[in-house]
Amino acid sequence: MTMVRLPGFSARTIAIGYALVSLVVLAMFAGPLWYAWHTNIQEVRTELIVSDSQRLANLFERGGPFALTAAIDSQVVGTNDGVRKIILFMAPNGVKLAGNLPGWPEGLPDRDGTGSATIRIDGAERRIELVRVTLGNGYRLLIASNLNRFDELERLFVYGLLGCGAAVLGGAALGGVLIRRALLTRVQGISQTTAAIIEGKLSRRLKEPRDGDELQLLTRTVNRMLDQIEHLVTGVQDVSNAIAHDLRTPLSELRARLEELSVTRPGEEETYAEIDAAINDVDRVMKIFNALLRLAEIDSGSRRNGFVQVDVAKLAAEVAEFYAPVAELKNITLDFAPRGALCAIGDPVLLAQALGNLVENALKFAPEGGMIAISAHQPQRDTVEILVADNGPGIAEDERPRVVERFYRGDVSRGTPGVGLGLSVVSAVARLHGGALLLFDNRPGLRATLQIAVSPAGGTQG
Amino acid sequence: MKLLLVEDNERVARFVRKGLTEAGHTVDHADNGRDGMYHAVSEPYDAIVMDRMLPGGIDGLAIVEALRQGGNRVPILILSALDGVDDRILGLKSGGDDYLVKPFAFGELLARLDALLRRSQHQAVETTMTLGDLTVDMLAHKVTRAGKPVTLQPREFKLLEYLVRHANQVVTRTMLLENVWDYHFDPQTNVIDVHISKLRQKIDAGFGKPLLRTVRNSGYMLTDQP
Repeated sequence: MTMVRLPGFSARTIAIGYALVSLVVLAMFAGPLWYAWHTNIQEVRTELIVSDSQRLANLFERGGPFALTAAIDSQVVGTNDGVRKIILFMAPNGVKLAGNLPGWPEGLPDRDGTGSATIRIDGAERRIELVRVTLGNGYRLLIASNLNRFDELERLFVYGLLGCGAAVLGGAALGGVLIRRALLTRVQGISQTTAAIIEGKLSRRLKEPRDGDELQLLTRTVNRMLDQIEHLVTGVQDVSNAIAHDLRTPLSELRARLEELSVTRPGEEETYAEIDAAINDVDRVMKIFNALLRLAEIDSGSRRNGFVQVDVAKLAAEVAEFYAPVAELKNITLDFAPRGALCAIGDPVLLAQALGNLVENALKFAPEGGMIAISAHQPQRDTVEILVADNGPGIAEDERPRVVERFYRGDVSRGTPGVGLGLSVVSAVARLHGGALLLFDNRPGLRATLQIAVSPAGGTQG
Repeated sequence: MKLLLVEDNERVARFVRKGLTEAGHTVDHADNGRDGMYHAVSEPYDAIVMDRMLPGGIDGLAIVEALRQGGNRVPILILSALDGVDDRILGLKSGGDDYLVKPFAFGELLARLDALLRRSQHQAVETTMTLGDLTVDMLAHKVTRAGKPVTLQPREFKLLEYLVRHANQVVTRTMLLENVWDYHFDPQTNVIDVHISKLRQKIDAGFGKPLLRTVRNSGYMLTDQP
């Protein structure tokens, strides 16, 4: 699953992002509208007053100043507050003849044509759109439209816009708070569970949300991780208990031996015999430790740097040859059927150890005059198997999954030498090689299959 | 032989020093890396026993590497509490000649040290070696005892060859396991002893003096001395 990399998502980021996007959308909507409104209104208004002025200019052409004065008088009412149209007709000597302005206003452009200006009418500033026409004989005509009557509309528009903006921001803030609260409840659930786990309640799990949302994936992954952690911790506890248990025996023996020596002070000969026995006790303890360390080393996956091309069949033949004299001594037939080379990528040192453990196991349990068969073959293109089969007591089916656990000693192995780590090491080596240790019933006896991958799957481990 | 021991643990140092002195060696001792380095470069030693974990967080391997880069070829046995095949390989790669994991039996240390001293003494590869009336021809893979040919399997020959090269020296089971079979684990069975007794059957049985002897608590020795 490929994920697009997004900036870190917090409720605040989402809210700010939402607000910004909304404001941009609002501006995209309002900006052109504002522009269109203005240009359009301007054009229409200019057209209106221009056509007005032409009409009046024609009237002047036809009927002279009197006709025009009469027409204007009939058009405008005295006041001009709120009046849409301003008209002023001036005689050449600057006397007002008609119109609703008291006199020629200041600040007008000094030429004919259209334009806009701000003038004072009744002591108030007004923005106007105007047309100035110079008629014949120095008569002047000013027609303007008062822009202020649109101020209200514009104000409304601006207020509306601001209101929308505020609503957007408010919505973003509220949404942010709500999202934050929802996330917090979720995260709180996670952190409460995690806190419980930190306190040692390892069996606690995160609640999976019913609606398959984004957090479900996270929850699932975290729960899987917790399963693994619990498994490992339980494993560690089991191992610690087992170590304590397994080491207690040789250590108590050792202590008793030394104590007895110190109390009874026997003769020199006996003292040395006891010391030798004590050294043997210590050696046993050391063996257990070494096996454990080796197991930890293999399990950590750091051993992949010893991987080379190995001929598994040759390796199996050599291990068989190595143990052949021991089998001979116990009157056990050790049979290895060579089948030609079987190449795989692996660690020869560890594979030899794993195979050695399997053969030693078989030697331990095969009866006098029994038989052990070792074979190697390639069932699939990417798998190589080494089989070690014996005709001993075998392992009961319900015990099989447990014998690879550290220190687990099956019923039949009680009272036999060994520390109960042999099969754990084999299993760990198999895992390191991308395979597994499989145990089958050989009817009678055990058929152990060490399965390894021909080439380990892309080095996911160290 | 003149030996240098670089080891910070007082008890281990005392124990090793005493053992080596009793075995007839002269031992200088340094309890930290700096002194160890100083001794190693300023005096000629026949071999050095180097602990890996030294005070001040110094790894003994760094000293070994520095010595090797300085052209010093003295045989070095590395002691380490790190028991991993990787650590062993690392120890040998950085210039150590052999590697021993703590805790160790003193017999093991002595045997390995003797092997190192011997190796550095006669570098020449001998093609035929004799020990009493036993003759081993390394090239032709032929073995005779008192003039009679002895037939050996290839691996048996390799075992005998190793013993002959280390004649009159104790070789431990671990040394045999590592050097003859190239295995690095503790067998739970007495498989090495069985191999030795099979070899004994062939080279000692029916001849006058046994050459292949068991050394209690340590290992084996091929010798014609009384």
